[in-house]
Amino acid sequence: MKWLNLFRKNIDNPEEISLGILKKRWQKFKTMKRGYYSFVVLVTLYIISFFLPFLINNRAIIVKYEDNVYFPVIQGYFHGSTFGQDVPGETNYRILRETWKSENSRNWLILPPYPYSPYEDITVEGNKMFDPPSSDRWLGTDNTGRDVFARLCYAFNISISFALVLTVLNYIIGILIGGAMGYFGGKFDLFFQRIIEIWSSMPILYVIIILVSIMKPSFLLLIGIYTIVNWISMTYLMRAEFYREKSKDYVAAALSMGQSDFKVMFKHILPNSLVPVITFFPFAVVQGILALVGLDYLGFGMPPPTPSWGQMLDVGLSNITKWWMVFAPVTAQFLTLLCIVFIGEGVREAFDPKVYSRLR
Amino acid sequence: MTQYFIRRILLMIPTFIGSTLLIFIILQLAPGGPLEQTIQRLQMGGMGQGEIAGAAGDMMTGGSSILPESALRELNRFYGFDKPIWQRYIIWLGIWPREIRHRDIDFSPDVFKQQRNVGFGNYLTLERDGEELKITDDSGIAPKEWKGRIEEIKEDGTARAVIFQTEFSGIFTGNLGTSYTYAQPVTEVMAPRFKISIFYGLSGLILMYLICIPLGIKKALKHGTPFDFVSSVVVFVGYSIPGWALGGVLLVLFGGGSFWDIFPLGGFRSPLEIWETLTWWQKIFDQLHHAVLPIIAWTIGSFAAMTTLMKNSLLENLSQDYIRTAYAKGLNEKRVVWIHAMRNSLIPIAARIGHNIGIIISGSYFIERVFNIDGFGKMGYQAILDRDYPITLGFLVIVVIIRLVGNILSDLALATVDPRIRFK
Repeated sequence: MKWLNLFRKNIDNPEEISLGILKKRWQKFKTMKRGYYSFVVLVTLYIISFFLPFLINNRAIIVKYEDNVYFPVIQGYFHGSTFGQDVPGETNYRILRETWKSENSRNWLILPPYPYSPYEDITVEGNKMFDPPSSDRWLGTDNTGRDVFARLCYAFNISISFALVLTVLNYIIGILIGGAMGYFGGKFDLFFQRIIEIWSSMPILYVIIILVSIMKPSFLLLIGIYTIVNWISMTYLMRAEFYREKSKDYVAAALSMGQSDFKVMFKHILPNSLVPVITFFPFAVVQGILALVGLDYLGFGMPPPTPSWGQMLDVGLSNITKWWMVFAPVTAQFLTLLCIVFIGEGVREAFDPKVYSRLR
Repeated sequence: MTQYFIRRILLMIPTFIGSTLLIFIILQLAPGGPLEQTIQRLQMGGMGQGEIAGAAGDMMTGGSSILPESALRELNRFYGFDKPIWQRYIIWLGIWPREIRHRDIDFSPDVFKQQRNVGFGNYLTLERDGEELKITDDSGIAPKEWKGRIEEIKEDGTARAVIFQTEFSGIFTGNLGTSYTYAQPVTEVMAPRFKISIFYGLSGLILMYLICIPLGIKKALKHGTPFDFVSSVVVFVGYSIPGWALGGVLLVLFGGGSFWDIFPLGGFRSPLEIWETLTWWQKIFDQLHHAVLPIIAWTIGSFAAMTTLMKNSLLENLSQDYIRTAYAKGLNEKRVVWIHAMRNSLIPIAARIGHNIGIIISGSYFIERVFNIDGFGKMGYQAILDRDYPITLGFLVIVVIIRLVGNILSDLALATVDPRIRFK
């Protein structure tokens, strides 16, 4: 709970009071039903999505063969001959289960509830191109026979992780540079103001595409590129906050007591300028997800065959009769973003309430 | 005020130079640029199928044996890579002379002077003098238009010189260069596509303002009522779905794929053969028929943000003290809302104009790609794929200028609506 010290203020009983504010805001947030339930649902789904290999995968969770027990999900690749299956390459566990069942074999295996992987394509027996949705394949298959539902779910995890890492990085840079700009002012401020001006005159996405087209993108590189290009909005916000706060009495008091600049910035000013930071967070995440979907759609996002909503949309829009390839990713993205927007609305209401009093 | 805006316009220049310089350097230093691609293509083309694999290994080790050195040199010169990067940039800007009409001259070991026909019956006398190249024309004086230099003196005594003319041509003289892929001046490639994007952008922008402002006002006046709630749903949808993705959904629904066949699948208008046969009225119909879905997608783009902005801004103003005062004076509600509150509420809307104008052009690659419209954004996107640097840079120049002008427009609009603002 050390980070909570950030919220301390110089009042008689700091912990109680500042914790009280946080607690109050959390209570307030809980009363915002839409936002709160969206939060619960989204966080739950996001946590679950880390265990997707156990839920949506073509590898069995447990295989009992002869007298040995195997865990293909964890252990990875097993050649078909390991389990006496006559296939080239990896074991096809779905077929294996059917054979064992029909043979009334002593061997058994447990498949994940949705036994298709996001990566297996038409080279695996039984997969067809553009298979329409059915009870087996909930959302059909794509142009290379990969399962749409499986890819959709994995893409959920990647999209949110991408946006979260991106936003946190942006925040760190924004708070460091923006804070220093607002706090120190002078030449440092002027220098970065010029840079921000130059940066903001450029079409961000276009610059990202140029950079990505030069390098071969990976998850981290894409985040790096996006951060380099997209740090200004947060920086500008923090600059304004620090600039405003630094003229207040408590800063002067802290300084007169000999606190270092670093401490004043991060222990005193930062906790007081957290409201815009927190309320902006969900919307920054929305932007991150949208950016990833857009880049993937244009073919400048994650390297294939990473599952991604944008790539699916691209396939769908170039095969317009395959409606599920468009509807599935758009709906998934829409629902996810809707949840985040609701959360954002709730958070803003809780942290930065605006009471509109009207006479009539 | 005028002074302020003049200063702003002058300040555009360093910003413009900063941002273009940045992109210029990135593009020029990037591996796999147009030069390398052309070399690769020429090398691949110059040999039989079976040799390719062997030559690929050759190239890896740096052996560019297939292209003669002179061709390589010429390519280098064509793409401007024979100059240091800072020179390339200021040549591109048009404030440093660009070398044109190169002629290569070879000097045999013992020859120090030779004549050269430069067209129109003019001869130049070229004299090699150590590292210097002296150029004189028939009358024995140095010609103004021709310049030259010794490029290389080999150990065996031969020398290679080049003579050329110079001119100032770059961004500042309105020359954006020649596209590599279209083999046309960049401005000519851009003009028709720019018109298409402007058509969609402006219609989308106008439509958006026509919808968002009244809707925002109505939502603010009916804050908390069922109308507010229902329209909020629409706003949230707008937030959660980008315009181009919605465009894709509309295309699947109405484009005649698996559902209804109401609107065409894309394109700016019908193909030229059909377009020419249409009557005047049919042309208008055809144009609108093609435009409906893209414009909807356009409008959705900033619909949610603008509506919320309008609503919140009006709500905030309505809770201010001066509105209370106006009511207390006995003014009727209409006057208070429409005259007193409205003008102040429009301030943030006005401030967004520049931003929205910037979006018109720079945000268009998604929608143009979805609807397969051969517009400005798609051109810029395609240029990156093709490594067509003149177009990429030209696109950026236009977008940067539009954004910078948009920012100034925002301030102008702000100053018009808000009498308190005094720019200094």
